[in-house]
Amino acid sequence: MKFKLKIGEKEYEIEVLETERGTKVKVNEKEFLFEEKEELKEIFKAKVNLPKRDFGEKKILAPIAGEVVEVFVKEGDLVKEGEKLLLLSAMKMENEISSEIEGRVKKVLVQKGEKVKKDQILLVLE
Amino acid sequence: MKILTFEKLKSTQTLALDLAKKGEKPFTVVLAKEQTSGYGRKKNFWYSPRGGLYFSVVLPPLKIENLEILNILSVFLLAKILKENFKLEPMVKLPNDLYLNGKKIAGVIIENVIEGEKVKFSVMGIGLNTNIVEFPKDLKEKATSLKIELAKEVDNRKILKEILKTLKNLLKPLF
Repeated sequence: MKFKLKIGEKEYEIEVLETERGTKVKVNEKEFLFEEKEELKEIFKAKVNLPKRDFGEKKILAPIAGEVVEVFVKEGDLVKEGEKLLLLSAMKMENEISSEIEGRVKKVLVQKGEKVKKDQILLVLE
Repeated sequence: MKILTFEKLKSTQTLALDLAKKGEKPFTVVLAKEQTSGYGRKKNFWYSPRGGLYFSVVLPPLKIENLEILNILSVFLLAKILKENFKLEPMVKLPNDLYLNGKKIAGVIIENVIEGEKVKFSVMGIGLNTNIVEFPKDLKEKATSLKIELAKEVDNRKILKEILKTLKNLLKPLF
């Protein structure tokens, strides 16, 4: 099995060979021999079984506990990257929570005056 | 430090926030000789006639867990400057105000812009009643100025420079 792997700007050519002595992995012509075949299988399995991430929506969480002073958007609104979503009063300061992404407001889960905990979902963008 | 000076502004804080959003560099200062809609925490009106010292500083992003210290640091910094330069004994009323002889002499407002889990920047606004000769009726019993307390004019520019220098030094370990 041959494949290319790119890490940052560097490209690696990888070849995995089954030999009598075990599994041989060639990385840019350098050879690594793995005699414990089962261990290697586990490594691949772990990589394949990484949890799937949902890139379809983005949950906006409260970065700190506080009180919602104002919500600037409503469901269905289109927001740009950097656009203010809501104002959270916390630690005697006003904290403007702005959008990291461009998208549409799917759900608004808090309202003005509501007290929120750290990591509570405030809004969902899609 | 870049100091943008204006004769009159609605609010130094509003302008500094706008500039920071447009990419203005940290430690840029917006200074106004007069504000028509100066505000403090919870958008409370800050009386800002000519004579006082009103400015906002764009601060580089702090870690969220360090934000809280900004308020405390800024009010103590003002107290230190009044004490060391004018031998006054101000009282710190946490988190935002400074009192002298039972009357408010300075206030601080801090607004942070957070994207995701990271602070993008903070803007610290300071209102210091320096050369205000007289306060309107409704504030007379609540507010005072350095000029009223010391019976002499003070140098706003010198105080500003002193505050900025100390602020930068105090904040250094937090970034």
